[in-house]
Amino acid sequence: MRTVQIVLNSILSKNIFEYILVDKNLHILEYSQGIKRYLEMTPKIGSDILEYIPEFIGNEDEIKKIFIQKYCLFTLETIQKNDYYINISIEYCDSQTAIVLLHNVTSITIHQQNLLQYSNESTLLYNTLNKVINNQNSMVFVANINKIEFANQQFLNYFNIPDLQTLTKDTIKIYKYIDSSIEDYTHLYELFQDKEQDIKIGNDTFIITASKIETTHHLFTLTNVSHISNKLNRDPLTGIYRKSYLNTIMQDKIKQRQLFSLIVLDLDDFKKVNDTYGHIVGDAVLKQFVQLIEQNIDKNDCFARWGGEEFLLLFLSTDVRYLQDKLENLRKQIEEYKFDIASHITCSFGATCSTYDDEEIDTILYRADKALYEAKKAGKNKIIFKIN
Amino acid sequence: MIRKKILLIGDFGVGKSSLIRRYIDNEFSDKYKTTIGVKISKKYLKIEGIKCELLIWDIEGATVIKKIPQSYFKGASGAIFVCDISREETKNNLLEHINNFLHINKSAQYVVAYNKIDLLSEKEQKAFSSKLANNEFAVSAKIDWNVSNLFETLSKKMLS
Repeated sequence: MRTVQIVLNSILSKNIFEYILVDKNLHILEYSQGIKRYLEMTPKIGSDILEYIPEFIGNEDEIKKIFIQKYCLFTLETIQKNDYYINISIEYCDSQTAIVLLHNVTSITIHQQNLLQYSNESTLLYNTLNKVINNQNSMVFVANINKIEFANQQFLNYFNIPDLQTLTKDTIKIYKYIDSSIEDYTHLYELFQDKEQDIKIGNDTFIITASKIETTHHLFTLTNVSHISNKLNRDPLTGIYRKSYLNTIMQDKIKQRQLFSLIVLDLDDFKKVNDTYGHIVGDAVLKQFVQLIEQNIDKNDCFARWGGEEFLLLFLSTDVRYLQDKLENLRKQIEEYKFDIASHITCSFGATCSTYDDEEIDTILYRADKALYEAKKAGKNKIIFKIN
Repeated sequence: MIRKKILLIGDFGVGKSSLIRRYIDNEFSDKYKTTIGVKISKKYLKIEGIKCELLIWDIEGATVIKKIPQSYFKGASGAIFVCDISREETKNNLLEHINNFLHINKSAQYVVAYNKIDLLSEKEQKAFSSKLANNEFAVSAKIDWNVSNLFETLSKKMLS
């Protein structure tokens, strides 16, 4: 008993535990002196403990069960009382008495609070940054050598990826959409680092930027500029591509060693239309001509206005017989079409196919133009092929 | 005197402690200090002639990884569910908090506080407030907007 008393005194002197003894009605029987620092007022013997520890309110029935079920313990954790944090527990002492133990956990709780504060502030910052990144117009992603570790919502939406977890689980090779010869994200970074460059993904044009954010990770942004690019690449009168855009396509094909055919189209005697009916009718004829051609070519064929009444057609096929049939069909359609006011107009075609020896666009264009010249010379409304 | 236990429940950082501090001490601080565990404040009220002691439990806010211990909910007569008007996710989590609370206290009363209304323009405040139900309040602990009304409305509901 004496040993128990020594141990108890030792614990109490360390300000770790304080106690209050209560009866079955939860009235105070006795308390340790150190208890006062946790309470707003000095407890009175015989008074209700709920006056001093209102944290028990609402749990009275559960607390009273302690007297029936001896080993039952009721605990409340991390209660702030004055400037202290305490755990409060109440447990069976004897059939008439229960002991309320107040365990001073201030020191450890303050450490926990600092960690929680840091964690909550970090979460708030993370959420804000996430919102900022997700509200960018650009697609943003971070990758190491061969794996994307982070991407914003725009990126997930564009590539139809349900969420970030799916993205990080899979090894999605976005660089393959850009150029099939790119080996990994480090290679992509090396190609585009510290410069802004146009790239195509499907039908969309993006400006890509790449920067190093860690030794192991790179940050990429892809800004969709298709609408701007479309405006710049389109002829304002007819809405079809300008020659400059066709040039880039031809350049890419030459670079990738893909063969194609190029046709120059020129409306016969178009000057007469302008001179006779005026430019408004002339413009209307050009628009109708464009519509007619577009209705008779495929999605993969590329149609552009060179200027005035001259147009360019690019086909991915170099099969001369197929091309001849296709162009003959176009020539007939134009010949038979009844244009508003100007009525019947014909068109001459100069056609050529690219070869692996062609390194310059101008070489191909020169051949097609020369073929057109011969078609005109031969009486117009003709198709002439010049094969190298 | 009637004694009532009420809780302020919501995600971390929505301003639960600030609302209590404004209501009890009429003070406000911009500095965010995380609440850990629970702290009880008392407020004596007289509602329609009835004297009442409100025991206001300020409890640690919920985070993604740490939910509010349901043992705190026991014996509560009412609750104020608080969200931050500037953080959509705190609004989205309100329903879960309400369900958890009513699961323990089926007959308890509650109100909802949309805190930090001061972050909206006057026009936005009006538009927002016009859409609120009878038990929902646009409040601001910072500019002391509607705070007393919030607590007193809940007290009236609990005493009626």
